[in-house]
Amino acid sequence: MYRYDAIDKEFLADRAAEFRGQVARRLSGEITEDQFKPLRLMNGLYLQLHAYMLRIAIPYGSLDSRQMRRMAHIARVYDKGYGHFTTRQNLQLHWIKLGQVPDILDLLAEVDLHAIQTSGNCIRNVTADPYAGATAEEIDDPRVWSEVIRQWSTVHPEFSYLPRKFKFAVTAAAKDRTAARVHDIGLVLRRARDGSLGFEVIVGGGQGRTPYVGPTIREHLPVDSLLSYLQAILRVYNRHGRRDNKYKARIKILVASLGAAEFARQVEEEWGRIDSPQADLPDTELARIRGAFTPLAFEALPARSDAFESAKAASPSLARFARNNVKPHKKSGYGIVEISLKAHGATPGDASADQMDLVADLAERYSLDDIRVTHEQNLVLPHVKLDDLPAVHAALAEAGLATPNIGLISDIIACPGLDYCALANARAIPIAQAIAQRFEDADRAELIGELKIKISGCINACGHHHVGNIGILGVDKKGEEFYQLSLGGSGQEDASLAQILGPGMSAERVPDAIETLVDTYLSVRQGEERFLDTVRRVGMAPFKEAVYADAH
Amino acid sequence: MKALTANRLIDGEVVFWLDGRWVERFADAQLFADDDAAGPAAVETGLAQSTVIVEPYLIDVVPAPGGWAPVSYRERLRALGPTNEPTHGKQAEGGAGIEAILAATGAARSTGRVDLIRRK
Repeated sequence: MYRYDAIDKEFLADRAAEFRGQVARRLSGEITEDQFKPLRLMNGLYLQLHAYMLRIAIPYGSLDSRQMRRMAHIARVYDKGYGHFTTRQNLQLHWIKLGQVPDILDLLAEVDLHAIQTSGNCIRNVTADPYAGATAEEIDDPRVWSEVIRQWSTVHPEFSYLPRKFKFAVTAAAKDRTAARVHDIGLVLRRARDGSLGFEVIVGGGQGRTPYVGPTIREHLPVDSLLSYLQAILRVYNRHGRRDNKYKARIKILVASLGAAEFARQVEEEWGRIDSPQADLPDTELARIRGAFTPLAFEALPARSDAFESAKAASPSLARFARNNVKPHKKSGYGIVEISLKAHGATPGDASADQMDLVADLAERYSLDDIRVTHEQNLVLPHVKLDDLPAVHAALAEAGLATPNIGLISDIIACPGLDYCALANARAIPIAQAIAQRFEDADRAELIGELKIKISGCINACGHHHVGNIGILGVDKKGEEFYQLSLGGSGQEDASLAQILGPGMSAERVPDAIETLVDTYLSVRQGEERFLDTVRRVGMAPFKEAVYADAH
Repeated sequence: MKALTANRLIDGEVVFWLDGRWVERFADAQLFADDDAAGPAAVETGLAQSTVIVEPYLIDVVPAPGGWAPVSYRERLRALGPTNEPTHGKQAEGGAGIEAILAATGAARSTGRVDLIRRK
């Protein structure tokens, strides 16, 4: 993984010291809340319902055991002993005290972590494929390009005050695990017929109150032109983005109002004016960054592990875990292990400090010291030998981390919602808990197959409800929580926006409605169809009819 | 009736106004009649205490079985803590005041919330 150099470390230490001074001046009354608020937000510190919340950036969702242990330590000492992994592959701590934040930032800086650009109208943490460097599907390592973008966009003076926040996703696999088409910019690495590497550039996707699946404005951007082209996109956005209206300020609104073709034309025109050799990354610098992601010291192993196969035959729970949570690795004899943070009845994305420490230990011992966070709020040990899977599974199971439900109905995305968030209108977590408990039967969950439920507590859509196979949006109906269901969304390569099913319902009715949707699916699905495929084939009508039958 | 609430600057803790000071329990909060000028006056005092608290605003409260409760669900959660972790936040302490809020039924938007959104 990429290691900070002396300049990076000095910068982080300086930023932490600067914030220490800002906090002291706020507490003494030297600066007002209005003056302080933008400064704390620049360091990822929000004031929520019960306390401050610190959002720590995990660059492209990739970290090592040292960093995971440090976050566990901070969660244990400065919070209530847990952290919340988010749909942006970050970690949020929900019970932070302002007076202790300077110490926390110092502790983070010591392990090359920070909370810079996790808030505000700037370029945020880049989302990347959590299987990077491990999956055979990728044609290049997306972490290299994510790191290039991270370095370029960190305190970039021209792009530190954009019309609105700005989010990138980078993937190099056909199977999209980053929701690239609903990011401000999605970059999908592809190889052209002549073998050259390029990016499909998708601009203007997004969720929130006005969701869009982003259009592709360039099919094949040569990789060595990446930064000049991104600069052109952001310049067009900076120039024409709607700063007058927060709800129309995202780039998706600009792209939609100009039309993708006209937006692309303006970008190309701007690109033509940029001094590319000056703007693009020198080959030497790219080589330096690529050097940080050199292939790891994998062992030459047979594709089949007798130890794993016999353990699986003896343990149905290991077999189930292997079916659902272990994904193919590019090297024979290895597997990618997904650690579900969706135990039935638990808060999606939450991990205790002890669990974080355990994951760090397992990563160090069994996964080449590599850990990933997925945008679906789970963790990944990307490089586990099949021989070691029984031991890894046993350790995870003991810590409550072996729920075998990746991609299944109880692997639910949920934002913190009204239980924590100052913007929320309704709770999201208890809805997720109730659904997961309803579908606790693992056999039934496997029978249902891939089904992605995503829950947001307000229209800002942090819980990705617009791209849920079943999306659930919490709304405030005269002070009471109500939930609006939608169907048919996908954040993957076949991205689509979910359509609203019908009138909202109370929290108590949601699990029954989900049950009805699932029963309807099972009664009409053909062959190996996923829930999403069935919805696309038969449309909303049978689902709507079933859920609202009582209302007639 | 109304109560005055804010978050404490140093740690973000939810606090309520009681006769010139800030207390942590909703059950201890001073209640103002809707037309009592002392309510808005307390807001002004709170706004001047910017090194102690952040964003003071009045919330609507209603009688609940065994006491009082904020009328809006959001304010009830602020007075209790998150529902997914019953041992976190003020609810962990328990007692009659907490029980009263938990027993409150129905909900409506608090005018304080509307004001807050408008201010933001």
